Amino acid sequence: MSSSDIAIDSGAHNSHVQHHFVNSEQQFESSKMGMWVFLVTEILFFGGLFLAYIVYRAWNPELYTAASEELNTIWGAVNTLVLIGSSLTVAMAIRSAQMNQQKGIVINLAITIALACVFMVIKYFEYAHKFHLGIFPGEYYTYTGIDHPKANIFFSIYYMMTGLHGIHVLIGIGLMIWLIVKARKGAFSSEYYTPVEITGLYWHLVDVIWIFLFPLLYLID
Amino acid sequence: MSTAPHSSEATHSEHHHHVSSATFIWLIGTALFVLTAITVGVHFIHIPAPWNIIVAIGVAVVKAFLVVAFFMNLYWDSKFNSLLLVMSIVFLVLLFGITLLDTLFRADPIPAF
Repeated sequence: MSSSDIAIDSGAHNSHVQHHFVNSEQQFESSKMGMWVFLVTEILFFGGLFLAYIVYRAWNPELYTAASEELNTIWGAVNTLVLIGSSLTVAMAIRSAQMNQQKGIVINLAITIALACVFMVIKYFEYAHKFHLGIFPGEYYTYTGIDHPKANIFFSIYYMMTGLHGIHVLIGIGLMIWLIVKARKGAFSSEYYTPVEITGLYWHLVDVIWIFLFPLLYLID
Repeated sequence: MSTAPHSSEATHSEHHHHVSSATFIWLIGTALFVLTAITVGVHFIHIPAPWNIIVAIGVAVVKAFLVVAFFMNLYWDSKFNSLLLVMSIVFLVLLFGITLLDTLFRADPIPAF
């Protein structure tokens, strides 16, 4: 065996490095780039709904300003702060992994999950209040409080956008539970924290999408 | 065999992940909290029609930039990942632009829902 074979092999000897990567660093960078490609598809996925919002708003400008009154700006703002707080704690969890602070990873991820649950509980009460009034999507809309023949359009778009976003929050909660289980077994360190990093990227993108949903839906009346 | 430890050092020197300080993370978080407070405050002042949307979206863009650059670490990351994000925005603008060229200029514009 020549010395160059040994040299390449030594870089790949960490247990987490899969055989098709040269070393840990290349594996990390590849995973991260793969995640960014996925986030591009997510941006275009949500982009279709943002486009529906724009097209129907251009057709019915007065409807949007009237219907937006039904959304509670304060609860929307609270949920924005909650999600930003959860992005902060995810960033802290990644920092904990980079610093080899095992407890810090678990604590920061646990706070993130708690904040994500607060977000979903607030969303649940917002939805429940609208259902109580008869504000359902599409043809099931029975609310008479908005003087517009097609008031259901705004709420169909509202439910699609916040609903798809909410599903992403739930998936994020699931991913972070998985991360906590792995972290408690000591799976992450400054040498290997790829799952924490790319779940963090996903979570920050969910936050960014809400950063745009909040003004578009809640702040236009 | 003497090259093995040497090469692992070489691998290690490539290992330059950016680590944000806790202070910096809290600084960005605080900026995002303050910008949220500003955009909600502006909402309750009720500034006139086109400007309320421009301010709200403008603040959202600044917030999104802070998250993407400093929480998602694109500021320190490979420029290729930034390029991916920029290309997604370019294609989003194409999607919006080409569709609006149709929907904004229809003779009978508004379909039944």
